[in-house]
Amino acid sequence: MNYGIVTRVLGSLLIVEAVLMLPSYFISLSAQGPDRIPFLVTILLTAMIGGLMTRKKSGQSSIGAKEGLAIVALGWVFASVMGALPLYLSGSTVNYVDAFFEIVSGFTTTGATILTQIEGLPEGILFWRSFTHWIGGMGILVFTLALMPALGIGGFQIFKAESPGPVAGKIAPRLRDTAKILYITYVTITLAEVLLLTLGGMSIYESFIHTFGTVGTGGFSNRNGSIGDYNSTYIHMVIAFFMVASGVNFSLYYSFFRGKPTELFKDEEFRLYIKIIAVATIAIAVDLWLVSYHNVGYSLRDAFFQVSSIITTTGYGTADFDLWPTFSKGILLILMFVGASAGSTGGGMKIIRMLVMMKLVKREVGKLYHPRAMMPVKVNNKVVSNETVARINSFLALYLLLFLFSTLLVSLEQVDLITAGSAVAATLGNIGPGLELVGPTQNYSFFSIPTKLWLSFLMLLGRLELFTIIALVAPKHWRIDV
Amino acid sequence: MKAMIVGAGKLGSKLAEFLIAENIDVTVMDSNIKVLERLNEHLDVLTVTANGIDIRMMRELGIAEYELLVGCTENDETNTLICTLAKKLGCRQTIARIRNPEYMQQIDFIKAELGIDHIINPDLATAIAMEKYLMKSYSFYTDEFASGKVQMVDFNVGDNDEFVGRRIMDLKGLDVLLITAISREGNLIIPNGSTEILKGDIIHVIGKANEIENMSRRLGEDYKTKLIRSAMILGGGNVGYYLAQRLERNKIQVTLVEQEKKRCQELSELLDNVLIIHGDGTDIHLLEEENLSGMDAFIGVTGFDEENLLMALMAKQSGVRKSIAKISRSNYIKIIDRLKIDAAINPVYITASSILKYIRGGKVVSVSLLLGGNAEVTEIIIDKDLPCVGKKLIDLSMPKGMIIGAVVRNNDVIIPKGNTELMANDRIVVFCLSENLEGLKMFFKPKKGGLFGELWNRNKSARKPADS
Repeated sequence: MNYGIVTRVLGSLLIVEAVLMLPSYFISLSAQGPDRIPFLVTILLTAMIGGLMTRKKSGQSSIGAKEGLAIVALGWVFASVMGALPLYLSGSTVNYVDAFFEIVSGFTTTGATILTQIEGLPEGILFWRSFTHWIGGMGILVFTLALMPALGIGGFQIFKAESPGPVAGKIAPRLRDTAKILYITYVTITLAEVLLLTLGGMSIYESFIHTFGTVGTGGFSNRNGSIGDYNSTYIHMVIAFFMVASGVNFSLYYSFFRGKPTELFKDEEFRLYIKIIAVATIAIAVDLWLVSYHNVGYSLRDAFFQVSSIITTTGYGTADFDLWPTFSKGILLILMFVGASAGSTGGGMKIIRMLVMMKLVKREVGKLYHPRAMMPVKVNNKVVSNETVARINSFLALYLLLFLFSTLLVSLEQVDLITAGSAVAATLGNIGPGLELVGPTQNYSFFSIPTKLWLSFLMLLGRLELFTIIALVAPKHWRIDV
Repeated sequence: MKAMIVGAGKLGSKLAEFLIAENIDVTVMDSNIKVLERLNEHLDVLTVTANGIDIRMMRELGIAEYELLVGCTENDETNTLICTLAKKLGCRQTIARIRNPEYMQQIDFIKAELGIDHIINPDLATAIAMEKYLMKSYSFYTDEFASGKVQMVDFNVGDNDEFVGRRIMDLKGLDVLLITAISREGNLIIPNGSTEILKGDIIHVIGKANEIENMSRRLGEDYKTKLIRSAMILGGGNVGYYLAQRLERNKIQVTLVEQEKKRCQELSELLDNVLIIHGDGTDIHLLEEENLSGMDAFIGVTGFDEENLLMALMAKQSGVRKSIAKISRSNYIKIIDRLKIDAAINPVYITASSILKYIRGGKVVSVSLLLGGNAEVTEIIIDKDLPCVGKKLIDLSMPKGMIIGAVVRNNDVIIPKGNTELMANDRIVVFCLSENLEGLKMFFKPKKGGLFGELWNRNKSARKPADS
């Protein structure tokens, strides 16, 4: 392994992070909050460590598969370790692990919180917490890539390890340009939502906070009651729309705006995504209408909001769905596993994997009738290679194994199985709120420190699509060499 | 600038590497996903799995925004078709690789009628390079600039005590020559005055043609003015055919050994004064029967690098004066210098040089890639608007990996010193490491100057085809 280049890239990552903390620092300065000094200390410390690391000399600047994995996995851990400092130093959390959990939850766009009382916390801290969603949504290293021209060669390894979905693809010949296009799209969507929310009567500060939570599909709010606090159908619908939009593969927007709007609707993953949202919304709305709400309009509105919030793994709430009928809760629990599209900011297992698995099942049935038939699995009229199918299979198997094993671990906390299971599903899938004790009106503060660390680990696993992190902690003989 | 390469074979992938170094956005298209995956791991290119003839795909990729398309799939017909289609779809310039000798005879017609701007034929180019080398009187690989007035030659200093153990500034008789680089154990060193020359170093020397000859006389005991009279070619592929044809024209007695009987028949019909031998070229008895040791030159041009290398070594051992091999892969680049063959000629580099020259166009007269593409020698005519005109070299503060090897002014060759001034319309021969290519452009490409000027130029060329 080329440790020199790994250290150097991680160093630049920390410098980028220090710069990204500046807006939060300015907000705390203008509000004269108690978090001014913690921010200043963290920024200086992060920049200094980063600066020292970038000065490390390395023989060559090539990044292979090994270096790419190490950079991504360690990068996320480092960024979280430093990012948690302001929360801890300003006394917003009781101990450092809580702060770490909160920031990992931010960077991985999970939105699970250990804070019992959000309102009243310093504004800079709340802003930083939400801003981590925005940074983590598109990938903090992709952002670094966009800024670091020297990382052309081998940067693809990093890009591959960080972008969600089974197959990462570029949209421009150069990685730097690809990263730029993605970020321009991201910034455009962000500004559009901020504008629409401000028009709906939200303050600019709160618009930003909720926009970060939406487009990063995170789910942190500065209100205890999340989006439900705003009694405005307009705001609910704007946020729901942008959640759905952020769960779409961002490269589709590129072709959409390059004058090929039909591409978007031809994409099989996008179509399935929209279909799932429509079917789930209608099913929940009917259930709500018949069982509890008895009002078609509100049933539809809350069902749509909650379905979009869960499938895109955002985790915002307008209603306490923990009180909903079991059938509706069941649908939401399933959606937690499905997740958003590949190449979006959302988490979960990803629609594309579901799509491939469904086609695989279909093929197996077909093969029972015609044992000698050749039936390649195709998505968007392109054959999915057997390697990709195998990778998807092992991903799903590992996801389920992790889910079962972690549920068992969390159940040691003496909580009911629904709480344990949904807490794991909600962190592994980067959603945020689960059911029962970790439901939308509850939080994760009651867990013990080891459980919180384990859940933080699950969030990182989920965000980096399992294998990046697994490869780093796997037993030595799995790795073949090194 | 955007360029598309169709076909990610040896030439395609090497070319992609060179184009990236030129700061060009490269898209590589191939129908084999495995090859592309490999490519993606070490090059920053966009890869597309598709057949180049797929018009729908070409449109989707926005071929009209591309300035260059290079068709280098295995198949000549596919390459021509791809280029014609791309041209019709709005691609600015197209380059096709065509290898079939029969097409080469009607190349101008094909170019004009099918809208292809440039044709590259690696086999023919290789044969020409080999011919050029064989017709030279000294035995190390060389290249010419300024229509032969300036030459670049590699010398193996061996253990000649006029050189070994001495520092460059202590060497005698080097005032008229310039040592631009030293290859030592496969690594390239840019020397300064105090660099010591070690045993077995290869020195790359630029200078006036006649001075180079003096130098080789000092160095080589096997320097002979005698031209070659006879040559043995191993392998009757396209390169072998082109080379035999060209040597035959130079009145050289050529023996060509080819394994496949049908090909032997074809060749014997095509070539009149060449002795075609049907047999296994790795069979040393056969070669000896055909008087290998009496040959002046041996050229290995089969499809296998290993075979070419080993048989060339073998021939050298038997006392052949000039022994050269065709090497298409870059695997062995680091050890070739140490082998006792006279030259290894790489078709991929020769072709890539020709494409680079075509792309840079304008004032760039010739480009030659050296040492596995780690360095290149470029011949440029200095434009009168360039900021470097009228400046002394010492004031230009050029990067370390960039050396002006010669200046040709009014037909005179000047080996530049620090106080040499550059003037408009000088032809300069620049030696440059590939990592300093950007610097080469900065110094010798006409532009407004300054950071903003460069940004502006880049933006302009990104949107609109540049005229450079």
